[in-house]
Amino acid sequence: MPAQDVTPITEHSYVPLSAGATVSQYDDVWLVIPAYNEGQVIAEVVEGARKTFPNIVVVDDGSTDDSAAHIATTGAHLVRHPVNLGQGAALQTGLKYAIAQPGSRYFATFDADGQHQTKDVETMVGVLRRDEADVVLGSRFIEQNGQVPWIKQVVLRTAAAVSPTARKLKLTDAHNGLRVLSRKAAEQLNITMNGMAHASELVGFLAGSDLRVTEVPVDILYTEYSRSKGQSLINGVNIIFDISLRERGRR
Amino acid sequence: MKYFWIQLVLIVGSVSMALVFIRTWSQAKNRAWKRIAFSLFVVVNVYAVLRPTDVTWLAHQLGVGRGTDLVLYVMVLAMGFLTLNTFLRFRSLEKKITDLARTVAINEGTRHNDERLGAASAAGSTPAADADADAKADSDSVKA
Repeated sequence: MPAQDVTPITEHSYVPLSAGATVSQYDDVWLVIPAYNEGQVIAEVVEGARKTFPNIVVVDDGSTDDSAAHIATTGAHLVRHPVNLGQGAALQTGLKYAIAQPGSRYFATFDADGQHQTKDVETMVGVLRRDEADVVLGSRFIEQNGQVPWIKQVVLRTAAAVSPTARKLKLTDAHNGLRVLSRKAAEQLNITMNGMAHASELVGFLAGSDLRVTEVPVDILYTEYSRSKGQSLINGVNIIFDISLRERGRR
Repeated sequence: MKYFWIQLVLIVGSVSMALVFIRTWSQAKNRAWKRIAFSLFVVVNVYAVLRPTDVTWLAHQLGVGRGTDLVLYVMVLAMGFLTLNTFLRFRSLEKKITDLARTVAINEGTRHNDERLGAASAAGSTPAADADADAKADSDSVKA
């Protein structure tokens, strides 16, 4: 492996297309995809995303199915948790891996079930490249496309409205899995909530930091598959419980 | 007024439980207090078994009907402490496991990916390296 001395690159400096003939425009972007038992769709999702983004790390979070074998058929980097730790832990592992990769500047978190679209990531990376923000979050609610089931809409909007940190940042959607972080933000971030509460933890971290945060409208494809895999609403109870215990237990 | 003392005892117990949870003391101090509490518990237990009427007397003083009821209330508090203690312990264990698993995963991953995608990842890394080299070359030429 080449020496990892790439950090001193001036922040957000634009990489010209002429940097190399065969080099993609998105060579400095790393997609982090946490996957747990997604064998059915993961290879397809990864190959689809790789058409635009050459650098992808998939974190197999101790899957019990053949996810790892499917990922190995793609051109993505594969990191395997020896045991199942949860999505938050998988994201943190993926970010840590991607940060260590030479030339990485932007880090996108992307779902394995194919509900996110690369064109949204391109828009978000564009915002970071223009140095308009340090962190760009996807939101399902800035522009309506009628894709979000109404019950989910009510719950997610309520979650954003009652969360003091989300209010502070004026976020409309606190639980969107699609985010793009600059190197500065990614290096500061340390997700400690291993389970699903990491989304709220991340928003809390952003509210307490001096990073510039923006939201960008994204389209979520609620396919049959992603619906069946997605978080059930009852899991919201778990998230609230985890978060409140974390607040109490902080020292 | 009848239940004042027992209410006081139970509320103080609950509040101190919450305090323990919010501000954790240094580990050693914490452990020492837990050991003292445990020793006390054992002593009181033995005493209560030998002289059950004294427990009833104490219960009456506190405004609780029977000694058994007092023991039950204290049990509830002790149970609460135990649960919190276990919870904190589990959480710190979970953090350790996560760190361990992450390190293993990244080390293994790096090794495997270098083997599997060796050429590809090397190609991916060149632009930044080139840019660095170019910048260096530029500054060199300026010096010259």
